Amino acid sequence: MNDPTQNSFSNRPVAGSGLSSAETTLRLIARLAAPEGLEDRVRARLAAAPRGGRILAWPAALSLDSGWMRSAAAAAIVFVVAGGGWGVYSRVQRPQPARVIVLAPRAPAQGGFASAGAMRTPQTLNGPVVAHPAAAQPVQGKLPAKTAQKPVHRARPTAAGKASGQAATAPAK
Amino acid sequence: MAAEETLAALVSQYAGTLYRVAFSVLRNPADAEDAVQEAFLRVLRHRETLDEVRDRRVWLIRIVWNVVLDRKRRAKTRPETDDVADLARVLPSDGLSAEELAAAAQHHAHVLACVEKLPAKEREVLMLSAFEELNSVEIASVLEISESSVRSRLFRARNLMAELLEHTRSLHKRSLR
Repeated sequence: MNDPTQNSFSNRPVAGSGLSSAETTLRLIARLAAPEGLEDRVRARLAAAPRGGRILAWPAALSLDSGWMRSAAAAAIVFVVAGGGWGVYSRVQRPQPARVIVLAPRAPAQGGFASAGAMRTPQTLNGPVVAHPAAAQPVQGKLPAKTAQKPVHRARPTAAGKASGQAATAPAK
Repeated sequence: MAAEETLAALVSQYAGTLYRVAFSVLRNPADAEDAVQEAFLRVLRHRETLDEVRDRRVWLIRIVWNVVLDRKRRAKTRPETDDVADLARVLPSDGLSAEELAAAAQHHAHVLACVEKLPAKEREVLMLSAFEELNSVEIASVLEISESSVRSRLFRARNLMAELLEHTRSLHKRSLR
């Protein structure tokens, strides 16, 4: 068994004289004596070093060992957590119910494309112009006011739409 | 206070060992002493954990080893005592004449220059293996590698050193012709 105070490589035969002398050099350096007074200088340096624990130590009156201080700290933590929670809760807005927009049934253009049930269609095109507004006037009373003035949107024909559309276009024929 | 007394005892017991470890890498007395002081300052900062340390000697050597490697990495300069005159002043003369001492110092400087050319892993193992107070298990513990890695690295280091020394010797012979 190896002597614990000596490494296991020291007694090995070396490959060549050069290597042997290299190990001799390293051993020579490894055996160098420490300079005199090293220990004293190290002790002096340690004594001069600031003690982190003392600098950051709490005053004795505020020590966490005392019961009332511990209770006060716990109460402060509870207060901060509860206050923060209430602050967040009071700022949160409840979601409002979605507004329902009721659109008037749209009159489909005859022979045109359907809107495939879209809720809104861009108002980029003007509707067909009535050739004789005087002839159309008696029928307009039956129609909703909006559909008569607005351009005709191409909506998918529904049961109600079909009925109103037929009524609106009938005089033009 | 018990921790500080333990620390004072550690300084008395291991300051010399730590200095030698530091000097073997830095090869500058002032830097080595600084490294030892820094190592003990680190111990002071963690003095509460002293009781948990199983082998304090190896633990301290590991600390100083890390300090030394940090410093060397930061400096990135050759150790000052690779200079032959400095080395002659540091190494023991053992009754040698001035000429013999100069020749010995030159030889040691050459060897140390070859050691510096080794890859870091091999160099570290070779340096630590020179310390007779460290066995292979302890070297493994300092370097935080397995014992088998220590052995294989040392084997490679010795082979590389032999090649380097042989190469420089042949160059020297050629230059003499």
